[in-house]
Formats: sequence, C-alpha cells, structure tokens
Amino acid sequence: MQRIFQMDGEETDCWLGHDGSRFVLNTPTGAVACQLDPTGLPGGYKLRAKGVVRELRLAVGPEATFVHMDGRTYEVGRVDPAERLAGSDGGASDDRLVAPMPGVVVSVAVKPGDAVEEGQPLLVIESMKLETTLTAPRDGVVAEMPFAEGDSFGLKDILAQLAPEEE
Amino acid sequence: MTISKLLVANRGEIAARVLRTAKARGLATAVLRHVAEQEGPAHLIADEVVMIDGPTPVAAYLDIPQIVEAAKGIGADAVHPGYGFLSENAGFVAALEKAGVTFVGPTSEVIDLMGDKVRARAFVEERGFPVAPSAIEDDDPASFVERARAVGYPLLIKPSAGGGGKGMRVVREDSTLETEIETARREGERYFGDGRLFVERYIERPRHIEVQVMGDGQGNVVHFWERECSIQRRFQKIIEETPSPALTPEQRDEICETAAGIARAVKYRGAGTVEFIYAQDGAFYFLEMNTRLQVEHPVTEMVTGFDLVAEQLRVAAGDGLSAVQADIPQTGHSIELRICAEDATADFRPAIGNILLLDEPQGEGIRVDSGILDGGKVTTDFDPMLSKLIVHGPDRAQAIARARSAVQSYVILGVTTNTGYLDAILAHPDFASGDVSTGFLAEQSETLTAPGEDVSDLLMAAAALSDERLVSDVMQIPEMYRKMGGWRN
Amino acid sequence: MRRIESLIDTNAADYKANYAAMSERLKEFHARQHAARFERPQRDIDRLARQNKLGVRERLKLLLDPGTPFLEFSTLAACREYDGTVPGAAVVTGIGIVQGREVAIHANDASVKGGAWYPHTVKKVVRLLDVALENRLPVIHICDSAGGFLPLQHGVFPDRYLGGRVFRNQVKLSQANIPQIAVVGGHCTAGGAYVPTLSDYNIIIEGTGAIFLGGPPLVKAATGEEVGVQELGGAVMHTSVSGTGDYRAATEKHAFSLAREIVGQWKRTPKTIIETAAYEEPYYDPKELYGIIPKDRKTQFDMREVLARIVDGSRFHEYQPDYGTTMVCGFAHIWGYKVGILANNGVLFNDSSLKAAHFMQLCNQNRTPLVFFQNITGYMVGREYEERGIAKDGAKMLMAQGGSVVPKFTVIANASYGAGNYGMCGRAWDARTLFMWPQAEIGVMGADQAANTMADVKIRQLQREGKELTEEEIAAIREPVLEKYKRDVEAYTSTSELWDDGILDPADTRNALGMSISASLNAPIDDPHYGIFRL
Repeated sequence: MQRIFQMDGEETDCWLGHDGSRFVLNTPTGAVACQLDPTGLPGGYKLRAKGVVRELRLAVGPEATFVHMDGRTYEVGRVDPAERLAGSDGGASDDRLVAPMPGVVVSVAVKPGDAVEEGQPLLVIESMKLETTLTAPRDGVVAEMPFAEGDSFGLKDILAQLAPEEE
Repeated sequence: MTISKLLVANRGEIAARVLRTAKARGLATAVLRHVAEQEGPAHLIADEVVMIDGPTPVAAYLDIPQIVEAAKGIGADAVHPGYGFLSENAGFVAALEKAGVTFVGPTSEVIDLMGDKVRARAFVEERGFPVAPSAIEDDDPASFVERARAVGYPLLIKPSAGGGGKGMRVVREDSTLETEIETARREGERYFGDGRLFVERYIERPRHIEVQVMGDGQGNVVHFWERECSIQRRFQKIIEETPSPALTPEQRDEICETAAGIARAVKYRGAGTVEFIYAQDGAFYFLEMNTRLQVEHPVTEMVTGFDLVAEQLRVAAGDGLSAVQADIPQTGHSIELRICAEDATADFRPAIGNILLLDEPQGEGIRVDSGILDGGKVTTDFDPMLSKLIVHGPDRAQAIARARSAVQSYVILGVTTNTGYLDAILAHPDFASGDVSTGFLAEQSETLTAPGEDVSDLLMAAAALSDERLVSDVMQIPEMYRKMGGWRN
Repeated sequence: MRRIESLIDTNAADYKANYAAMSERLKEFHARQHAARFERPQRDIDRLARQNKLGVRERLKLLLDPGTPFLEFSTLAACREYDGTVPGAAVVTGIGIVQGREVAIHANDASVKGGAWYPHTVKKVVRLLDVALENRLPVIHICDSAGGFLPLQHGVFPDRYLGGRVFRNQVKLSQANIPQIAVVGGHCTAGGAYVPTLSDYNIIIEGTGAIFLGGPPLVKAATGEEVGVQELGGAVMHTSVSGTGDYRAATEKHAFSLAREIVGQWKRTPKTIIETAAYEEPYYDPKELYGIIPKDRKTQFDMREVLARIVDGSRFHEYQPDYGTTMVCGFAHIWGYKVGILANNGVLFNDSSLKAAHFMQLCNQNRTPLVFFQNITGYMVGREYEERGIAKDGAKMLMAQGGSVVPKFTVIANASYGAGNYGMCGRAWDARTLFMWPQAEIGVMGADQAANTMADVKIRQLQREGKELTEEEIAAIREPVLEKYKRDVEAYTSTSELWDDGILDPADTRNALGMSISASLNAPIDDPHYGIFRL
C-alpha cells in the first residue's frame, strides 16, 4: 500500500487507501482523492483528482510509470519500500567464511592482502565427496587464509577472513 | 542504366523513408540490419532484409566490403546510402563502381572535394562565391598563427577534416589563440585522425541557412529553396524550417542562386545541400556542401511538393531532372522537429529504454518519418534520433501552431524524449518572431528547461492507480477497514 | 428494517446538560488515555533513543497497513495500580490490520519500566492471547522486555493465569494452526525467550534484539563465563548458529517489512459467513449519545435511542416489542453484519428473562452474533417474583446466554449490577470483547444500596452493644464506606483491573463492535447446543 515515487531526482513517500467509494493517495502534504478510468485509447485514461479531470496516456514499466499529460511526458519512478528494505537482508555482511562441515582444502585462489569482489572464488574445499567453491561474501580485502592446499579442517573452522569494513 | 533493385545501406527513419519512395516507384527493395539490432519500420517495408555483423553495430554499417558484398549477393543494381554512415565516403562510391553497382549520389570526385573543408572552401572562393575571412594551416603552416591573427577576433578554429561541431573552438582573445590551436589540433587528431586546422571569422549570433540543390551531373542544377536550421543544441540541428524567416525575397533568390551556382561549378549529380552562415547584417558565407540527402529534407518536400528521393533515383538512373527551376514552388511553411531519446534537462544526455507505448500524431499537414516501432527498445548503439515530425501550414504562425499541437500529442512512453523541450522552443516568443541564431538554445537553456506547472500530485495519483499490485494490495483490505480508515479508539 | 424514530430533542435542557457532563468526562478520559499512550518521563524517551530503538507506537505504525484502524485493548490497564507508574501495564495489545488481515498484536512498551512484566501486564497479555485463541487471530508479538518485575514476582509467575499462561496460550495457538510472528526488538530474557521461540516465525533486529535464557550478568554469576549480549544471543548468532532466530533484520523498518511480508504469504482461510447487508451509517449522529446518557446514572433512558446511534441506518427490527418490555430485543446490522441485540430498559422480570432466553436461542439457531447493551440493576426481587420463579427464569436466561455458540459482544453502557451482569454476558461469560462507557459502573449492587447495606451491618452491631447513634455518627460510618465503594465500581477501576477490554468513547462503539464482530468470524460457529433449562 506504500510506494516511494521518484520524480526529477526527488522521492516522495506515499500510501494509497480506498475508503469504500474512492481511492485516496496520501502524500506528505495531504490526501488526494483520485480516480482513473480508461478511455478506450491504448494506455488512455481519464484522471480525476484535486478537482480536475485530465486525459492522459500512460504506460507502466517495471520500475517507472510514464505519463503523457497535457502535451508533456513525465516519468514517475516507483519503489516498493518493502523491496528496497529487502535489499538490506542479512544486514552487516559477514567477514568470515566458516566451514559448513569438515573437509580438505582443494585449492586456494587468494592470499591475505588481495582485494576481492563479492562472489569472487576464494577457495575450493572437498567435503562429503563434493567439491564446493567458497566465494567472498562482500567486496573487501582478504585478511587471513588460515588453510593451504591439502590441509584438513574441522566443522566451523574459519576458512577465510576478510578485513573489517571501514565505516 | 536502369535501376530495378535498390539496397538501402542505412537504417532507422531514413531507410524507411527511402524504401517507401523506391517501392512506390516499383523497385525491388532491400535494407540492412545488424544482427543485434531491434526491428524497425524499414525492416517491415523492405522486400528483403540483409543481416550484417561487426564489432559494433555502427562498425557494421561502415563496413564497405561487407555492404558491397551484400549488394552483390542480393543482386542489387543500386545502393542508396541515406545520410551519415557511408553517404559521403568516396571509397564506398569507388568500391560500388568497381562492383558495377550504381551509387545514388554524386561522383566520388565531388565527394572528395566537398568532404575536405579546406579544398571545398578554396574551390568556392576561387569561383567568386562568398566565404568568411579565414586562414588555412596547410597553405603555409609556419605562418598559420600570424594569418589566423589577421582574420580578426572572434574567430573559430576548426579541424580540416571535421564535422558535427567536434573539435571546434571559439577564440575571443589573442592571448588564448595559441593554446586553443593546440587543443583543437589534439581533438582533431582524436576524432578524425587528422590534426590539420583552419580558422575563420566567428560570426556573432549567426543563423544557419542552407539550400537544397539537385543536379543531373551534366551541369544542369536546380535549387529547391532554402532551409533555416539555426535551432541547434551542441552544434546539432533539432528544428529546421522553410522558408527562413530571416530572408527577404531578394536575399532568398541571391542565396539560392549562389548555392545552385556552386553546384553547377562541380557539375553536381543528385541531391546536395549548400550550407551558409548568415550574419545578422544580411551577409552570408559558404560553410560547406553536404553531398547527400539531409535529415531535414522533408521540409523542402512539404513546401515544394517534390519527392527528393524520387528525384535522386531519377538522376541516378540517368533520367535527368524532372523539373526546371520555374516549376519549383515554395508554398506555405514547413517545420521539422527531430524527436530524440535524450534528456534536455541533463545536457541532452542520451536516454535508453523500452518503448512501452507509441502513438504518433496524424492529420492534415502532419508527416512523421519514424524509425521506431511500438514495443521497441532504444539503445545507445545508434544516434538518439527516433523520428522526425514534419508539419506544413499556410504560413509560419499556422505551421508553428500545428507543430505544437502535433508534438504535444506525440506519445512516446518508456524512454525520455525531447518532445516537451521541442514544444518549449516552439512556444518561445523569440522563436515565434523568428529572432534566433545558432546560439539560441544555449542562451535560452534555463527558460526552455524550466519546470512547468507542478502536477506531481496528479502524476503520483496516476502512477499509484495504474500500479496493479498496489491497487490489489489496497483492495484486499476488507471494505469496512478501508472505510474506517486510520480510526483509533 | 424500520428506522427507529428518535424522540430526543437536542435542544432540551436535560439533553444539553447531559451532553456537557459527558463531554467533560470524555475530556478527562481522552487526556488519561493520551497520557497512558504517549506521556513518558524524558529519561525513558532518551534511553530508547540511546538504544537506537523506536517507540512501540512507531513500531505499530511500521507494522500496520496504513489507513486502517487499530482496536486497542485496555489502554488504561493498571491505571489504579503501582501509583499509576505503569501506564498501559507496559504493553500494548489490540487488533490491527496487516496485509489486509486481522491480527492480534502484543507489543511490549519499553518506555515503561523497560517493558517489564507486572502482574497486570501478564493479565493483559493472557487476555490478548485468549482473544487470539477464541477468534483464531494470528498473533504478532513485538518483544522488548526487561523480564518479570521481580519485587512482584508472586503476582507474575506462579498461578494458573499468570506468566506460564502466556506460553501455554502460545502453544495452544500453534496447536490450533494459528500462526504467530515475534519481532525481537529488545531483549527476551528467561521466560521472555519463549515468546519468540514458541512463535512460528521470529525476526531479530541486529544490534538491539537478543534472546537468551540468562543474560550476561546472570551467566557471569552462575558460571563465571564472561560473554557479550551479541555473542550470547544476538541476531547473527541465533540466525546462523543456533537456529533460534529465523530472520535477522538490519533495522526496525526492515524487521517490520519482513513481518508484513510473512503475513502476506499466509494462506487466507475463508471467514465464517453470517448474514450481511450493505453498509449504512447510522441515521442519527452517534455524538448525540452524549446527550442521551443521563448525567445521573439513576435516571432511566430508552436503549432504543442508544441503538439508533450505533446500528446501520438506525434500523432496528424489534422482537416481541410488547412483551417483557424491560428487555429490548431485536435485529440490526453493525457495519453490515447482522446481529441480535439485547438491551436493558429496566430491571429484569420473569417475562423479560424468558423473552431474552427465547431470543438468544433464535439467534443461535440462525448463527446471528449477539450484542449486549447493559444498563442493568438486576433481577426483580420480592415475594411475588420469587413465587413466579424469577430465579428459575433467570437461570433459563443464563443457560441460553452461557450456552450460546454464536460470538457475543458486550457493552456496559451504564449500570452493571449483580446477577444482571451475568445474564447480560458480563466478563465471566466469554464475550469476545467487552467494553465500558466512561460513566458506567460495575458491582454487586449500586453504591448507595451497598453503602447502606454495609453501614447497616455496622450500625446494628453497635446498637446490639447498646449504643445510641446520632444522625452524624451514622453518616460518619456510612460516608467512608460509600466513598470507597463508589470508587470501586467506577469504570476506571474496572479497566485498571482488566475486567473489561477498555473504556470506550460512546461514539466509538460502532467501530469497536464492527472490528470485534469481523475479527470473531475468523473462528467457526458451532452447531447450537445447550444444557438443561429449568422449565
């Protein structure tokens, strides 16, 4: 029910309600009763809001809505605040790669001091007859690689450690 | 030398436009398409589409051997180059000649001559046509700076091999002349692989006026009147019109005859455009000659009633010109707007996106030469121009009114375009009075990109109500709760 | 249905006097409610800010669908306990809307004593979970509590309906396939650790949320181990190592967004269908209730005038309008839901009791929820009525009321005395919600009557001892008894002790009932069945 709308680089937090007979868009500056009815033209609508009726054409893209109204074209970016927040899943990233089970190091791809990007392979391990590539959980610099090729490690041993992120 | 099958070695709106005339004349037609290119209107019109490939899409359209092979492969006996790409490439013309394929355009010699600004200018000057005071480095590199000084300030430094405004520098003070020359040289080398320069007098508040000419290659040349193209952003035209509001009938005749004279002097074949700088005092100077069909040719077609592509094809087939000068009228007024995928509020940054909804204006006096289709994708692979909106009206005021109404009703949704900006130009009082120069857009940039009425609430309402997921989330709240709203006990 | 023809004259002097008196009461009520919700010592507000925590009201705002109502329960719980230092009993409970669904909310208010559990906190939480069980409402727990308030642990911990009942109810909810989410926005220590762990889903906010059976000081005291909060029970540890936590949230916003997302993907079970009609606002302005309710509680008023300002379109189909007239029975709609209404227009006689019993059976047969509007001083006493079997007829009414399978809702509109309270679905009789109006009273009998009874006992005792009492001496005995009794029967005492689900502004009654009825339909309605009616 909430959306963040983006226009000309500015964001506006809004929520849409419906009181049983009409929609009301609640903006930080007030509530706008509004109604949108198709006109029959492709993407054509009649918008009633703020005491005016405007004919417009609109197209809904995945991230923005494009509106052609009174001879001008506008782009309104749409963000679902929940989806934006979902991007913060996991919160502060882990600095450590912890062994999910005991095993042997097959190969090591980086050394302490190397800059790595999120997703970059750090080392390959073999456990339970399966080879697994362990990748960097975030962009950063490798602080420690405690195991060398051929070394055995135990459950929850630290296999790689990134330097703490600078604030 | 008849032409029965024409390959259009171009893309976008111009390919579509050329193909329409060719088909109407009963020719078999083909057009190029890069393997990664979106389908455009041209691909729907042509009888045949020839796929080309290259390291980049643009490189493919510049690949002479591949395109000559394509022409031979499909049995085309003529190639129309459109504008841009290989349209002014003498090597392309030579390669086609060698392959026995007719090039719809002038001879490679004329292209060579006019393609070299320095030589072209000398050629024109020698024959008594007006050119602005200038100095050419090649004449005597050692004295170039001295001779540049003698041209007088303000002056303009241009790369000899340049075009499109790249590498041009305005110098207003003697103290910066030498450093500017060096900068221009570096840019020339970077853009054109050629560091040679020339300087000419910089005309303050100049207008850009050009004349459409057509020759049969035998020395017969007619002109199709002038076009004014002073509305430019970053040295590139975006609005063109004819007739020019700046010219008196006498000046018009003089400038058009001058252009025809220059074309006659080279026994010009096909369609060409002679460009002039027009000073506020009425003086005009030869700028350059474009040996091809221009982007803005439709305004000429609208006021003369001639199909310039048809004329090109006649000449190329050896059928000569279809009219003498006296048969070519200039009726009413025509304006062309270039619809570009760009953000006028962000220094004309090219925009990309998917065309979600396209509805082009129609009606009396309205022509749209479009290079896009509904559902298409706009990328930065090619020029940001999507289409051209051309209008015709009985007089300039009515043409402007028609252009405004048409551009306002031009619906392109999904990619940022300059339609609003074009409308703002048309609405400007200086444009209405015709008091413009090539610096107009830069001078008026704040006025032209000023935000309009604040309709953000309306836009957000429209965006909210057309967001199906949002609406369904709201409507899943039981009606009673929606009615109670934010009630608290 | 016919519209009730109101006979109220809004220009009459008594109407205006009533209106003024009620307005005065409501001013005080709203002020108290506002204080309980929002007014906190600065140091508590500062502490929350320092801990980087949002207040409970802000948390609710992030959780609930914007533009939807929240029916808050017992805002003034504990208002007459602990010298008034534990507003709301340090917890917020109620029914709110998340992703279009009704959910029960249990949220610690850490701005009050760090969200510690007082005896009244436990009572309020247990009540909320009972509401969730009865109505099959999913529960969202917002955990941020310092744990049980140790000096009063005997009132928090041992008894059947104390602390353990919170967790027992959580288990029963889970067993009944009613989902629960816990958002851990503070510490959940000791027993508190079971709130998130007994929930189907839990979300821990990084940095502020933590779950442990024993916090770091207790661990140090018990085993000497020194360990920090985050290592011991923080979000990262619980979501990646122990599996005690399901989701870790980077921020409060993130946490509530996750909670909303979880609710959004729950299966939507169809609600119980009852008779409905299109909505209609009451024809008469609900605010006119202020002028209808007499400023003197002993003044009689017509309940139909009250109903006309609460039910849809002020429409009421009265059942047996000419029989047992002290008991008004009939059908109406509230927010579109058809209900059977029982409202007191005087003391209960034999005929009014029989009428009520009969009407309730009718409603059960037709799956029509029951709404009680109490203004009852009791069943009629006296030889004639005993001979007619008033106790027997009262029992029939209780049997019908207590045996009802349809959801019941009670509004104590004015007096709620004696067995009348029972017959009219008082607290003990499982009303899904029970609200009081601010001037209403609840007790075994009216204040004067009770004071006289108690004073008489004392006076007779003194007389037996041979004392002659003057008028002044009798008054001196009677007055303190009366004063104390008057206070004990007040709505504020009731609501402080959680004998109700809160005091309502009468004008809010319609919405409170609408939400209560709608929420109740998440639970099925059983087939009618009763005990034995004494015929």
